[in-house]
Amino acid sequence: MAFEQDYKGFQDYYEARRLNTRIQVIQVLFGAVLVLYLFAFWYLQVVKVDYYKRLSDNNRLRRVTLMPLRGVISDDEHRVLANSRIAFNIRLDREKVADMKAFFPRLAEILGVPEKTLNERLARYRGRPAFEPVILKEDVDLAEAAYIESRRLELPMLSVEVESRRNYLYGALAAHALGYVGEVSEDQIRSDPSGEFDLGEIVGKAGVEKQYDGDLKGVKGWKQVVVNSLGREIQEIEEGRKPNPGRAMRLSIDLDLQRALEDAYGDDAGSAVFLDPNSGAIMAMISRPAYDPNVFAHRFSQDTWGGLVNDPRHPLQDRVSLSKFAPGSVFKVVMSIAALEENVATPARGDHCTGSWRFGEKVYQCWAVRKGGHGYLTMREAIIQSCNIYFYHLGNDMGIDRISKWAHLLGFGEPTGLDLPHEEAGTVPDPEWKKRAVPRDPVWHPGETISVSIGQGAIEVTPIQMARFAAAIGNGGTLYRPHLLLSREVREGVEEEERQDYVERRVPMRPRTLEVIKDAMWGVVNEDGTGGRAKIAGRDICAKTGTAQVFKASRDVDADKLPKEKRDHAWFVGFAPKDDPKIAWAVFVQNGGHGGTTAAPIARLVLERFFQKLDARQGGQQLASVAVPQ
Amino acid sequence: MPAWRSLSNFDWILFLAILAACSIGLVVIYSATTGTPSAGAFHRQLIWLLLGIVLMLLAVLIDYHTLAEFASAFYGLSLTLLLLTLVYGRVVNSSKSWLGIGGVQFQPSEIAKVSTILMLAAYLGRERVRGLGVLHFAAICAIIGLPVLLILRQPDLGTAGTFMPLYAGAVFIGGIRVRTLVILALIATLALPMVWGHLKPYQKERVKTFLEPTRDPKGSGYQLIQSLIAVGSGGIFGKGFLSGTQGSLQFLPEQHTDFVFAVLAEERGFIGAMLALGLYFVIIYRCLATARAARDRLGVFLAIGVVCTFAGQALLNIGVVVGMLPTTGVPLPLMSYGGSSLASTLLGMGLVLNVWMRRLVN
Repeated sequence: MAFEQDYKGFQDYYEARRLNTRIQVIQVLFGAVLVLYLFAFWYLQVVKVDYYKRLSDNNRLRRVTLMPLRGVISDDEHRVLANSRIAFNIRLDREKVADMKAFFPRLAEILGVPEKTLNERLARYRGRPAFEPVILKEDVDLAEAAYIESRRLELPMLSVEVESRRNYLYGALAAHALGYVGEVSEDQIRSDPSGEFDLGEIVGKAGVEKQYDGDLKGVKGWKQVVVNSLGREIQEIEEGRKPNPGRAMRLSIDLDLQRALEDAYGDDAGSAVFLDPNSGAIMAMISRPAYDPNVFAHRFSQDTWGGLVNDPRHPLQDRVSLSKFAPGSVFKVVMSIAALEENVATPARGDHCTGSWRFGEKVYQCWAVRKGGHGYLTMREAIIQSCNIYFYHLGNDMGIDRISKWAHLLGFGEPTGLDLPHEEAGTVPDPEWKKRAVPRDPVWHPGETISVSIGQGAIEVTPIQMARFAAAIGNGGTLYRPHLLLSREVREGVEEEERQDYVERRVPMRPRTLEVIKDAMWGVVNEDGTGGRAKIAGRDICAKTGTAQVFKASRDVDADKLPKEKRDHAWFVGFAPKDDPKIAWAVFVQNGGHGGTTAAPIARLVLERFFQKLDARQGGQQLASVAVPQ
Repeated sequence: MPAWRSLSNFDWILFLAILAACSIGLVVIYSATTGTPSAGAFHRQLIWLLLGIVLMLLAVLIDYHTLAEFASAFYGLSLTLLLLTLVYGRVVNSSKSWLGIGGVQFQPSEIAKVSTILMLAAYLGRERVRGLGVLHFAAICAIIGLPVLLILRQPDLGTAGTFMPLYAGAVFIGGIRVRTLVILALIATLALPMVWGHLKPYQKERVKTFLEPTRDPKGSGYQLIQSLIAVGSGGIFGKGFLSGTQGSLQFLPEQHTDFVFAVLAEERGFIGAMLALGLYFVIIYRCLATARAARDRLGVFLAIGVVCTFAGQALLNIGVVVGMLPTTGVPLPLMSYGGSSLASTLLGMGLVLNVWMRRLVN
């Protein structure tokens, strides 16, 4: 064999030794590396074992948050206003669809959703893991959910997801009091130091939902699951903690009264609030235009949401506590109280109204200027007729400092402390305020005092301040903190009344002053005054109308023919019955024209319902006491 | 001398160590892939193992001198296969390294490994090639360089890299002068920045990540971190068979190929890792013992070629698993999933067994 001759073994001893040495070098080299690895394993598996065990557990164990049911919100008689209901969503498992394009037309037909919409919804999940299901259709009815469920064999890629969803039973009813919920915003997550929020968690965004979110949302639970590197759940390993449902909240809102108010209030923008003058509990409140809080519970409501935010009529704005307007003639009641208490005038002070009054270089008019003025008036008559000239003179005599002092005492220019997330303080102007607020013209002009005297100029109040003010006159001078919460659930089925002291302060007023004012306000409604349209026989309704000027029309223009947005704001503020009042209110209609014409009838419809219920309750009580055997 | 008479000189230790390593590999592959998309790997590996053992025994039975006679033919065939791969190869992970013949997919680069070892040994084994001249040096470069260039064209840097230990071993044992060695080392050091400039972005990324694994934990550093977690969390006794979480929950990618040792360390702990490391130690030392005991230069260079390729790959792979080397994509010979690599390694081991069996001159 040819090779046998070539390979003759080692002829050279030195050659053999050299080979041997070099092989030994390789041997040592490999051996050294293996020993090095031995130490590496020892370091990783013996020294650092705890560290890597923890990392390994963090890898595979995931905490899954279990969301609690949100607390129920009910009215004063435990009638549910907002609860959580079960909603069905139809989901698509993308992993089970081989050819999405080919499947789409069929999918669109099954779901009754246009292909374009389906495409958009699918596009939201681009970049999410493929096993994560896509919600294609939200909140379907039971029949559709059942249809999909029953075809699981035929359509394995579709499934029905059960989800808890906030449900406002009466849609837009009391929307601004209840508020709405939505997914927690990224800002909220970032700014929360406790790190409590989960992505996609539902939180209160406005109204009571936001104010009492801490109670309503409940306590989250959790469980631990084993996941793989794709995040897919492999198994559940620990029970964890069950979620605690949110507490039920009972509001002072009365569904019957609220419905009466919703029905009575027309299509105009504005607001109204009715409260208990002896506690500050709000029985009904409305802000128009309103919105349906149910739309925020939907994922695919971006358009609706954008529409609400950008609507020039600002339907999301709560006009009860967040909007401020000139009080108009209602402020004449504040003027009267101030004059009596400061001894600037007596109830008998008389004045002569000729329809206009020249002060300085300007002529100030009374609304009765066209019929030649009101003639001779006392304070009571001036309130009933809402004469401007009388209060121009009174304001001029009193001066802005005393006017502003009493406006503040009666609760204007400060938040009322209402239990809603935000509140507007309003403006009570004085020379000090003007220096700060109007640097261009920092001097207080006497003419501005004249404007403020009839509730015009810089003075601005919120409807909730007005209702509280009316309540204070009715109840003898106590300012209560208006509130919506009556009681909350402490344990399941156990309710605890709010035992807060809602008294903000008592306004020092002489009984005689209150008597005069109440009597005059009674006259406004019952003695051919400006509020006659709110009269209900036997109920002794006391109120004051207000018409706040928005646009200064020339004398010849008929107010009724002005464009809507230039018309006056209408107020109707009062309490009833005159002695021992049970209800106080402020009704405000934006650009509604005359307070007596637009606002008073709304109040009347609500009051009728209120007294009907009151009679029924008292009648029931009397019947009950009769029925009890002695 | 008839083959059966040499059987009394068979190296049972090496043979059994190889079988033990393959069995451990099979068990780990089974455990690492159960419940994952790669669940069929165990059965395919078992079939390749049986085929590999047959090939190994064939390589044992035919006298290595006879095999060396056909070295050029084998070598030429391998180069042809590599060329065919470049034309007809299947693209996997953006490199063309697979060739299919009659429904069987294999990597010609693995075949080229064995035939290059054989070719190199045949060349260096000749009596007249004693002391390494410039011409011999050039010949070694050419024999190894041809397949390496073809593999680099695929491109498969990892497999091409496994020829480097073979090259180093051949040159060193072939008799390169220490002085030349030092000069070459100096040149290599100086050339390093130039090589860096020619690396692909993903290759640079791997090196950077190795130097600082937490730099990009979700990207290129991910494998490295997950491998360390797998090894470290195994502890002394391991998590047990089928109980490893890093591999079966797919946190650790390539759990049954390049990171099979990490799964072994996770499930069998420090003790299991030491056992496996011990097996590799035995295999390498038996091969080196064969090289020292070989009856002629051909035998020496066959054993050296096989052991350098084998040990280079094994130490590179384990070094990556323990985080001491950057990710290279080199499989662990005998244990990693991969039929071509397993068969080619067993074939190479067959050559070593062959040399040992025929070490005695009679």
